[in-house]
Amino acid sequence: MLRMDPTRSRALLEQPESGMGYQVVEVTMTDFKTRRAVVYNAELLLFDEEPHAILKTANFARLLAEARTSSDEIKSLRVLPRSMAGELVEAVKESPPAYGRGAGPARDATPEKTRAGEVFKRFSAFANDRRILPDGSLRPGTYGTTAKDATNVRTGREAVARYALPDPRPASNRFTIEPREDTMVQSGIVEPAYSQPGGGVEVSFTAGTQPGAVTGRDTIPDE
Amino acid sequence: MRVKLDKKWIARLVQLPESGMGYQRVDLRLQDGRELKDVTVFNAEELDLPDDLARVGIKDIRLHAA
Repeated sequence: MLRMDPTRSRALLEQPESGMGYQVVEVTMTDFKTRRAVVYNAELLLFDEEPHAILKTANFARLLAEARTSSDEIKSLRVLPRSMAGELVEAVKESPPAYGRGAGPARDATPEKTRAGEVFKRFSAFANDRRILPDGSLRPGTYGTTAKDATNVRTGREAVARYALPDPRPASNRFTIEPREDTMVQSGIVEPAYSQPGGGVEVSFTAGTQPGAVTGRDTIPDE
Repeated sequence: MRVKLDKKWIARLVQLPESGMGYQRVDLRLQDGRELKDVTVFNAEELDLPDDLARVGIKDIRLHAA
């Protein structure tokens, strides 16, 4: 799974679709191997062998944020004529993507439910985070990020940048959140703000979580 | 300057949703009648205020409508 860099995304938009919202492509990797893939919305590339059914359940914006960028891995790509796209077109028909979920902020996203075993993280400059109740639940309307997105953050300063936090102090307290399946969330991408680039995944627990969902806190380096 | 809120306001703010991870954007009404729009509160307990307003009491806090 790759996120199209802006240049490739623009180039794809100049070419015809293979079906509504997607293009079947042949990719030449940097090691000169060729692979077939589908690019959704000129943004998200899934290789032939990857499970396209993930688009049925996962939030598109979240997948996009978590995908590696194509710039380091792709040498070139071309959209295949529909006559050559065959099996992949059928695969896409079986797995319609979650369109309508744009890459905007969480507050604008469609509410969805967490899946079993999902883990989230929350970064804070405060060890005594007031959004976390003594029983280990989150208050309604508390923000976090996915555990996967959190792997991009190694220091408190990086958390401030990735989640565009207005408090310039390092957000070096990292909380782990393991909500029950079917916890209501809205997720999206952090917009640039407060002179920070943003770009991380943000998840709002719109109705909070059950007790015990916050399973730990550790600290990461400030710098 | 950074101002620590009274318990009363903390109790209210923790009942309200965040605007982002660890902060809320609020509108303030001060005891002298002045209003401040879109002030950031951290961890429902600290806010940044201009020095000349930091000692004026707070009359009301509401979430800022984005």
